[in-house]
Amino acid sequence: MAEHNHTKHEPNYLEYQGKHKGLLGWLTTTDHKRIGLLYFYSMMTFFLAGVVMGLLMKFELISPGEQIMGAQTYNGLFTLHGLTMIFLFVIPGVAAVYGNFFLPILIGAKDVSFPRLNLMSWYLYIFGAIVVLASQFMGDGPPDTGWTFYAPYSLKTNTNVVAAVTGAFILGFSSILTGLNFIVTMHRLRAPGMGWLRMPLFAWSLYGTGWIQLLATPVVGVTFLMVVAERLLGIGFFDPAIGGDPILYQHLFWIYSHPAVYIMILPAMGAITEIIPTFARKTIFGYTAIVISSMAIAFVGYFVWGHHMFTSGMSSTSRWVFSLLTFLVAIPSAIKVFNWTATLYKGSINIQTPFLWAIGFIFVFMIGGFSGLVLGSLATDIHVHDTAFVVAHFHYIVFGGTGFAFFGALHYWFPKMWGKIYNTKVANLGLLIFFIGFNLLYFPMFYLGLMGMPRRYYDYLPMFENANVLSTVGSWIMATGLIIIIVNLVRARKGSGREIDNPWDGKTLEWTIASPPIVENFEEIPVVEHGPYEY
Amino acid sequence: MDTITTHHHADAHRDDTAAKIGMWLFIFTEILLFGGLFIVYAVYRFKNPVAFDLAHQELSIPMGLINTIILLVSSATVAVSISAIQKNDKKMTMAMLGITLLLALVFLVNKYFEWGSKFEHGMYPGSDLMTNLSNGDMLFFSLYFFMTGLHGVHIIVGMILLGITLFKVKTGAVNSGKYALLENSGLYWHLVDLIWIFLFPLFYLIH
Amino acid sequence: MYSGASNFVTTTDTAFAVIIGISMIFLVGITATMLWFVFRYNKKRNPVATQIHGSNTLEIVWTVIPTILVLVMFFYGWSGYAPMNRIPDDAMKVRATARMWSWLFEYENGIKTDTLYIPVDKAVALDLISVDVIHSLYIPAFRVKEDMVPGKTNKMWFIGQKTGDYELFCTEYCGLSHSYMFTEVKVLPQAEFDAWYARMADTTLQAQAAAANPGFKGKQLVQTNGCVACHSLDGNKLIGPTFKGLYGAEHTVMTGNDERTITVDDEYIKRSIYEPDADVTKGYTKGMMISYKTQLTDADVAEIIEYLKTIK
Ligand code: HEA
Ligand code: HEA
Ligand code: HEC
Ligand code: CUA
Ligand SMILES: [Cu+2]
Repeated sequence: MAEHNHTKHEPNYLEYQGKHKGLLGWLTTTDHKRIGLLYFYSMMTFFLAGVVMGLLMKFELISPGEQIMGAQTYNGLFTLHGLTMIFLFVIPGVAAVYGNFFLPILIGAKDVSFPRLNLMSWYLYIFGAIVVLASQFMGDGPPDTGWTFYAPYSLKTNTNVVAAVTGAFILGFSSILTGLNFIVTMHRLRAPGMGWLRMPLFAWSLYGTGWIQLLATPVVGVTFLMVVAERLLGIGFFDPAIGGDPILYQHLFWIYSHPAVYIMILPAMGAITEIIPTFARKTIFGYTAIVISSMAIAFVGYFVWGHHMFTSGMSSTSRWVFSLLTFLVAIPSAIKVFNWTATLYKGSINIQTPFLWAIGFIFVFMIGGFSGLVLGSLATDIHVHDTAFVVAHFHYIVFGGTGFAFFGALHYWFPKMWGKIYNTKVANLGLLIFFIGFNLLYFPMFYLGLMGMPRRYYDYLPMFENANVLSTVGSWIMATGLIIIIVNLVRARKGSGREIDNPWDGKTLEWTIASPPIVENFEEIPVVEHGPYEY
Repeated sequence: MDTITTHHHADAHRDDTAAKIGMWLFIFTEILLFGGLFIVYAVYRFKNPVAFDLAHQELSIPMGLINTIILLVSSATVAVSISAIQKNDKKMTMAMLGITLLLALVFLVNKYFEWGSKFEHGMYPGSDLMTNLSNGDMLFFSLYFFMTGLHGVHIIVGMILLGITLFKVKTGAVNSGKYALLENSGLYWHLVDLIWIFLFPLFYLIH
Repeated sequence: MYSGASNFVTTTDTAFAVIIGISMIFLVGITATMLWFVFRYNKKRNPVATQIHGSNTLEIVWTVIPTILVLVMFFYGWSGYAPMNRIPDDAMKVRATARMWSWLFEYENGIKTDTLYIPVDKAVALDLISVDVIHSLYIPAFRVKEDMVPGKTNKMWFIGQKTGDYELFCTEYCGLSHSYMFTEVKVLPQAEFDAWYARMADTTLQAQAAAANPGFKGKQLVQTNGCVACHSLDGNKLIGPTFKGLYGAEHTVMTGNDERTITVDDEYIKRSIYEPDADVTKGYTKGMMISYKTQLTDADVAEIIEYLKTIK
């Protein structure tokens, strides 16, 4: 690659020494790139912890009866696993890591609008995480409610629900501030010439996400506060014994938590939308359609929360309205899949690791999405609600969708973030094993659900054993794949490697600057003259 | 200071419009936070119309009314302090902020007595009296304590913000050329006021 | 899978078939197209890409077609569900009560069981009651499920169309033994059901049985009230202390903040059942056991005590 002389006189963001050096320099940084990495390292830690919990659960489920833990431990484990994965990994997810690192660069800015607020969001995130994790050790033991904290069980159990819920509340705060920061940044800091319709689609997806974070998070925030008040002060809100309505709790919870699933997936879709044109060496097909579909997902996503409550005894009318809307929210996702596929048509495809992740993403996302349709339909959801089928659905779409996009984006932007390149062959091998393991792990759960095995089951009838064994073996294969992937990346990071500014011949702004980028990204703010993917 | 601004000159990244948009968005989330509670209130009121009606009579309308007036006036004084700083009248700005803070304090004292009298009658979250109430009454008072309590927390946050602003006006860090902080604290204060404007009729007036 | 075990199986499975069928076509179709493009337009075969910015016609086509398809899916889902909501008037009524972690079914003539017995080819309507937290009654073979929400009575109905035994699970997470909260539905031929129904309701028969073995009535009470979900009969420690050897044993309990030792006698057992939180046995959690004040009369408790005496 061409040598860049600007790297000579401007230190890159990794080497740069500000007022504070070393670790303290990182902990006091307001550089969006460093904050992105702070999120990255903390999230990876939580993710691996969550993964180990998943493995333990799968091991317990390998056959009926007790294997390695008792029921109480298992119940605590899936609660903590769900909390960790949802609140500490996929909700901040792609947005907090790659959004922080790349959003300002993609729109030609030096930083986000509120750099210090950005750092504060990270501290809130860490603080919230600590409170959540503290729930494991304080009080009367790990919470055992599931990540949904359904009343009245969450009000009755003796375990330490208060800490977990408070932690989730703080994490919500962090999420709101990040969303707010991104929205303002896009309104104020686009480079000259970068009109709204010239923004890269990843930025657009963050814009939609930001609005969901702002609009939905406060509702769950106050709901969690009410749970805390109810537990600590004996104020009655949701306990039917004192007139409260547990169904109202479910409504308030899902009014947030359904839109939250789009907080998880939109930035992931955005990242995939960056990867595909780069490797097809071709402009994206249907830019405007993708923009509109992102905003449509963000918007329609507010009105479908009831599909988590089809069996709660809602009125018939609410059931069919929520079911119909759920089907409509699938359309924008469909539009995206079609446009991605169409982008490949007549491209000149350069098959590299990030591209393979993107293809893998589309495949598992489709399976996850289609199983979502089964859940959105009334008669079928009645049968599979709260069974392993739902567990399969959300692992396909959350882990398969957001998780695949997270790793795909990591392989895509790795050279930019650290200025190093990994061993492609090993990366592809890791992906292959991971992909096989993934499907072996989660696909049998669809079958189990159809056969009627409920979720959150510590123990089960012998009739469900075979599929569970398959699934457990899948988890080991997948673990092998993940270890290969991670070791490969760690080695690349440690290794000397070449310095490369634009390994994939990308056209968006991040590929026009040095790898790793200098502190304020650009020597001079670029002037943008055309759309993002002009090949 | 952060690494970036020390790198270039201090005001390189200052953007008052951004700060204002940011504040508006934040206020929006605050409204949604209380919005969630208004939904809960509406649902429980719908389910227990009679109990809610009877329970609201236990609250003192004059107390609530006084507090409403106090907050409205304080909103006005904040507004005046903003136009004062635009005219570079530092003294007036500080005086107006001072009055606002004072009014906020009076509001809290008022609230203290209001809650206090309830507590004296054995009416507080978790008390025997409270747990023995009928379901509707219980929900009404639970919501009353929770929502006015949460609003009280917002008053305190607002006071801290205004206090910091006042201090910065004094040191000159906030001045006629740079008063985004004052505007934003003012916005926040209007929000606190606005929420009370909703709480007051919901708990004291409607029957 | 089961076929035709209830009147909802065909409609529900049709909805499954329609949705999964359409999905499979798209999944295979899109995956194949994608792979074909990756192969055909590989940079070796197609060194220069053709830049195409989009096509409004195509966007419209692939918005409209999926919209129509999801409406079809919605229709099948809705029409499969709609009848679940229309309970026939002549349905046999059963009151199903869930508690942590057991089931109780009460029939119109007052019989109580922990297994659901129903006659074949007859509509059965369940009133779903929960006394503590949310549970959910799920019979996979029948394709029915509905939550049991405390403070609210949900309803469900179905017709068992094939005799046999079917699993009945609790599918809403309800605490420690959620996964053990299952029982069976026994679909009997009408004649057999009638015989069972009469036998259970026959007080003289019951009285004979009670006279023959002491504690018989108490045993029934303990089973139908779900005590055995938490108290084992064989000495194992579950959520609550075992019933084995309980009567007459010396236990350390916490009364408020005071620790004291008591001997389990009639008075103590009665107190434990009516006010479980008053004396909390050491090593066990307060608040797990709910009061049975409204469900068990003094006479019932006396029967239970008789029964407990027999478990040594
Ligand atoms: C990233 C997160 C994510 C995403 C994106 C989705 C997307 C969708 N989800 Fe999912 N969902 C979860 C995360 C997510 N979900 C989680 C975590 C739960 C469980 C929560 C819990 O209880 O713990 C859950 C549960 C859940 C339920 C409740 C199930 C139950 O408890 O009974 C339902 C019901 O309707 C549902 C539906 C859908 C639908 C219709 C979509 C759609 O948006 C999917 C759209 C995508 C496609 C349809 C595929 C792509 C399209 C094509 C290839 C074109 C062809 C398309 C057509 C012909 C239509 N989801
Ligand atoms: C992003 C979200 C996410 C992710 C990634 C995962 C990942 C996994 N989850 Fe899931 N899960 C949830 C979100 C997620 N989960 C949620 C929200 C719930 C619902 C909780 C609730 O009900 O409340 C749930 C529930 C849930 C259950 C259901 C519990 C029940 O209903 O009874 C199970 C059961 O097996 C499970 C398993 C797994 C497994 C095996 C993994 C696998 O990913 C693990 C496979 C292993 C690996 C991929 C890697 C192994 C790595 C190592 C061994 C580390 C070594 C490391 C180094 C040396 C660097 N999860
Ligand atoms: C949800 C679980 C649960 C159910 C159901 C339950 N119990 Fe208990 N029970 C407990 C627990 C936990 C304790 C110990 C704590 C305490 O004393 O409150 C206990 C204590 C007792 C004791 C005192 C035992 C001792 O060692 O001092 C008796 C007697 C008892 N239960 C009887 C019953 C009867 C009879 C029923 C049914 C009608 C029943 N229980 C149902 C959980 C349960
Ligand atoms: Cu009862 Cu789960
Ligand atoms: Cu949802």
